[in-house]
Amino acid sequence: MLPVYLRVMLIVGALLSLLVVVRQVKRERILVEDSVFWVVLSFFFVVLAVFPGIAISLAHTLGFMSASNFVYLAIIVLLLWKAFTSSAEISRLKTRVNELAQEIALSRKEEEDRCERVARGTAAPVAAVEDTGAEDMDEKDAQRGGASGGRERERQENAE
Amino acid sequence: MKVLAVVPAYNEEQCLADTVEALTRECPDVDYLVVNDGSRDATEQVMASGHMNGITLPINTGLTSAFKAGMKYALRNGYDAVVQFDADGQHLPRYIPQMAQVLSDRDADLVIASRYLDGTERPSGARGAGSRLITLLIRLTTGVTITDPTSGMRMYSRRMIELFANGFDCAPEPDMVALVARRYSPVLEIQATMQERQGGESYLKLGNVIKYMSRTCLSIIMSRFLR
Repeated sequence: MLPVYLRVMLIVGALLSLLVVVRQVKRERILVEDSVFWVVLSFFFVVLAVFPGIAISLAHTLGFMSASNFVYLAIIVLLLWKAFTSSAEISRLKTRVNELAQEIALSRKEEEDRCERVARGTAAPVAAVEDTGAEDMDEKDAQRGGASGGRERERQENAE
Repeated sequence: MKVLAVVPAYNEEQCLADTVEALTRECPDVDYLVVNDGSRDATEQVMASGHMNGITLPINTGLTSAFKAGMKYALRNGYDAVVQFDADGQHLPRYIPQMAQVLSDRDADLVIASRYLDGTERPSGARGAGSRLITLLIRLTTGVTITDPTSGMRMYSRRMIELFANGFDCAPEPDMVALVARRYSPVLEIQATMQERQGGESYLKLGNVIKYMSRTCLSIIMSRFLR
C-alpha cells in the first residue's frame, strides 16, 4: 500500500490538473471539443490517485516489475499518440491556411483583370448576381454581363 | 501550346524586374505569372511599377504553396504547360521553347533544364555531392537517371498542372521528380546553362542546405514506399 502522504499528494496533483483544464475551458482558451482529451485524462488521474489499487493490480497482471513503470509507459504512449495527432492537425491547418492565401491572391488577381478589361473596354464585367463564387470565369461569361453592370461595378470599386 | 512561366518571388526586389524583362524580351510567346509569396521588401511595388502580371499572397507560405498558386492560375486559365522559373535571374529564358518542344514531341510530363546532361562536371564540395546523392537515390528508387535533379528550371505538362493544383502534397522539388519518373511518364532533360543568382539572398544557406538535403533524401526514399 502506498504511504498516506504520497496518496494525498497524488490526489491533490490530479485534482489540480483537472481544475486547470476546466478553468482553461471556461476562459475559452481551448475549444470544448479539443479539451475532451485533457478533461478525461485529468479525471482519470484523479481516479487512479484515489484508487491506486487499479494501477497496481493491472501492472501485476500484465507482468510489470512495478506499478510506476506501467503508469509511465501508459502515459508516454498516450502522449506520443496525442503529439502525433496534434502534428497531423497542424499539417492540415497549415495546408488550409496556404490554400486560403492562394485563393485570396487568385481572386484578387481575377478582380484586377476584370477591372482592367472594363477600363480598356474590351469586355464588360460580370453582373453582380453572377459574381458569387464562380471561379473559372472565362471571356464568354464575362461578356454576358451588361455594360450597365460594368459601370455599377466600377462605381462600387471606386467607392471602396 | 500555351506556356506559362511561374516565377515565385520572395523578397526579390533586386532582380525581379530584370528577370521579367529578359523573359518577355526573349520569349514573347510565353506568358508569365509572378507569385509574390508575401514578400516583406518592395517586391510588390516592383511588380506594380513594372505592370507585371502577378499575384500577391497575403502571407508568406513557402515555395511549394506559392508554386501551387501558380499552378491553380495555369489550370484555371487553360495553359498546356508551366515552367518553373526563378526570380533571381539564374534561369535563362532561351531554353523555354526547347523545353516546350521536347515536352510536346515526346509527350512527357516533366522536362528539366539540366546543367550536367552533356557531361559537365558537377561542382566539387557539398553542392555537387548533394546533387550526386539525389541522383543516386532517384536511380535506386525509380531506375531513372536524372543528371540534374536540383535544377529549379522544370517544365510541367497539363497533367502535372492538374496534379499540382488539386493534389495535397506536391512540391516543386527533386522528390516530386522521382515520383513523376516512377508513377507517370519518363522525365526528360535538355542541356542548359545557368547563371549565378543576380542579387538578393539565396535560400540555400548552410543550415537550410542540411535541412533541404535530409528532407529531400528521406522524402525520395519514403515516397518509394508510401506514394
